[in-house]
Amino acid sequence: MELSNISISGLIILVIACLLVIALMVVNAIVMVYAERKGAGFIQRRPGPYEVGPWGTLQPVVDSMKLLGKQIFVPSNVDFFLFFAAPVLAFFPVLLLFLPIPFGPFLTALKVPDGIVLILAFAGFGLLANLLAGYASNNKYGVLGAGRAVSQGVAYEIPMILALLAVVFQTGSMNLSEIVEAQGRWPWSWNILCQPLAFFIYLVTLVAETNRAPFDLPEGESELTAGFHTEYSGMGFALFFLAEYANMLLVSFVCATFFLGGYKGPVLDGFWWTFIKAYLVMMFIVWIRWTFPRVRFDQLLNINWKWLLPLSILNLWITAVVVNFIGK
Amino acid sequence: MITAIWDQLKGLYSLIVGMIVTGRYFFAPQKTVHYPRKVVDPEDLAAYRGPLELTRGKDDESRTRCISCQMCAKGCPGNCIKVVKGTEGKLPSTWVYDFSLCCLCGACVEVCPASAIDFSHRLYLVVTSREELVMDLLADLKERVAANPLKPAPDVPAAAGQKAADAPSAGAAKNGEV
Ligand code: SF4
Ligand code: SF4
Repeated sequence: MELSNISISGLIILVIACLLVIALMVVNAIVMVYAERKGAGFIQRRPGPYEVGPWGTLQPVVDSMKLLGKQIFVPSNVDFFLFFAAPVLAFFPVLLLFLPIPFGPFLTALKVPDGIVLILAFAGFGLLANLLAGYASNNKYGVLGAGRAVSQGVAYEIPMILALLAVVFQTGSMNLSEIVEAQGRWPWSWNILCQPLAFFIYLVTLVAETNRAPFDLPEGESELTAGFHTEYSGMGFALFFLAEYANMLLVSFVCATFFLGGYKGPVLDGFWWTFIKAYLVMMFIVWIRWTFPRVRFDQLLNINWKWLLPLSILNLWITAVVVNFIGK
Repeated sequence: MITAIWDQLKGLYSLIVGMIVTGRYFFAPQKTVHYPRKVVDPEDLAAYRGPLELTRGKDDESRTRCISCQMCAKGCPGNCIKVVKGTEGKLPSTWVYDFSLCCLCGACVEVCPASAIDFSHRLYLVVTSREELVMDLLADLKERVAANPLKPAPDVPAAAGQKAADAPSAGAAKNGEV
C-alpha cells in the first residue's frame, strides 16, 4: 500500500492498526512496569511487587487505577493550552511510529518505502513534547529539564541516525521489511555481526533517546524533582509514562529490525521473534538502568560529541568504502 | 590520544564488570523476609538495635550490673533514662526507660562503665499506647532470667557467667563491622 493511493480499505486497515497499536502501548506499559519493578527488585535481592495478586502481578493494574483517580492539579500561571497539549503530543506521535515496523512477514500496518525516515522524523515530536511540558508548566525545574531534554535529544539523534545509516548503506534500502529480508535466520547472519560498532552506538543512543538511566538527566530526581513533568499529576503524568515505555518499545523494535534479524528466527519466522527480540532488548535496558549511576551532564555530552559521533562517522565511512569497493 | 582511548576502553570494561555483578545478583537468592508468614533468622538480628535491656549480672544473673552512676541518664540526648539509687549498695531501685523518646544512638551503651546495658533484639515489638513504651528494665531483667536462665546453678565460676553475658554484645560488635 503506497501512501499516494490510500483507498477506503487501506484506511480501515490503518484505523485497525492504530487501535491495535494503542492496545499494544497500554499492555506494554503494564507489562513493563511490572517487569521493571521485578527486575529492579531481583537485582537488589528483594522480590519487587509481591503482595497484590499472585506474585504481585496485579500491582501495575492497581497503580494505574490510582493514577486515574488522582486529582489533576494545575499550578498557577501555566500556559493552559500548551500544558495540556504536551502530554497528548508526547503520546500520539508514538502511535504513528509503530505503523511502519514489520512485526511479521505480512504484519505491517503501513508498508512505506522509507520507513526509517518516517520513524526518525516523527521521533522528534517526543522531544518537542518534553520541551513544551517543561516550558508550559511555569516551573524552574520544568524549564531546566526541558532544556536538558532538548540538548540531549538533539545531540544523541545524530550518532543514532549515523549508526542506522550504516545498516541502510549495507542493505541499500530504507524499507524496514527489506532490511529484515536482507538478514538471515540464524544469529550469525544478522546485522549485529557485520555492524557491531553501529549496534553498540545504537544501543547507547537508544538509552539516551528514551531518557532512561544512566542518561535520564531531563528528569533527574536528585536535581530536578522530576524534570519536565514535575507539575503533571494524574492522567498527564500517566500519558508521559505511557509514552516513555512506548518509546522504549519502539526503539527496541527498531533495534530488533535493524540488527537482530527482525521477524526471522531459527525455527519459524513470525511476529513472535520480533517481540521476543524487542523484549530482550527492553530487559537489557532495564538491566542497564539498575546497574549504572546517572552520568553528569557534561559527561553526557562529552560521550556523545567526543566518542559516539566520531565513531559513528568512522563506522559509516568504513561501511561506505566496503560497500562501494568490495560489494555487499 | 592513545591513553585517552585506553582509558575509555578500561571504562567500558568496568561497565561490563558492573553488569556482571548486577546480573549475578539478579539470580542470587533474595534477602527479603516476608514478615507475617516468616520471621527473621535470629542470627541475622545480632546487629539489630531494639529497645535497651539490662545485661545479666555476673554472679546472680537476675541482679543488674548497674552501679547507679547516672552516666547513661546524663549522656542520653533524649532524656529517656531514669535511674534511682536504692538502699542496697550501689544497686539501683528504679531503672525506667522510655523507648518512645529513644533514638537508638547507643551513647548510653557506650558510656556505661559497668557494661550494664545493651540493645535487645526485640524486633516484633507492638504496643497500642505511648505509655506502654515506658519500660521498667529491672523487672524485665528478672523476667528474662526467670524464663531463660543461662547458668544452671549460681555456684558456677564467675568467668563462665561473664562470657555468657558478653556473648550477645560481642556478636553485635562483630556484625556491626560487616
Ligand atoms: S540509645 Fe541514645 S537515646 Fe536511647 S537511651 Fe541510649 S542514650 Fe538515650
Ligand atoms: S551508666 Fe551504666 S552503671 Fe551508670 S547508671 Fe547507667 S546503666 Fe547504671
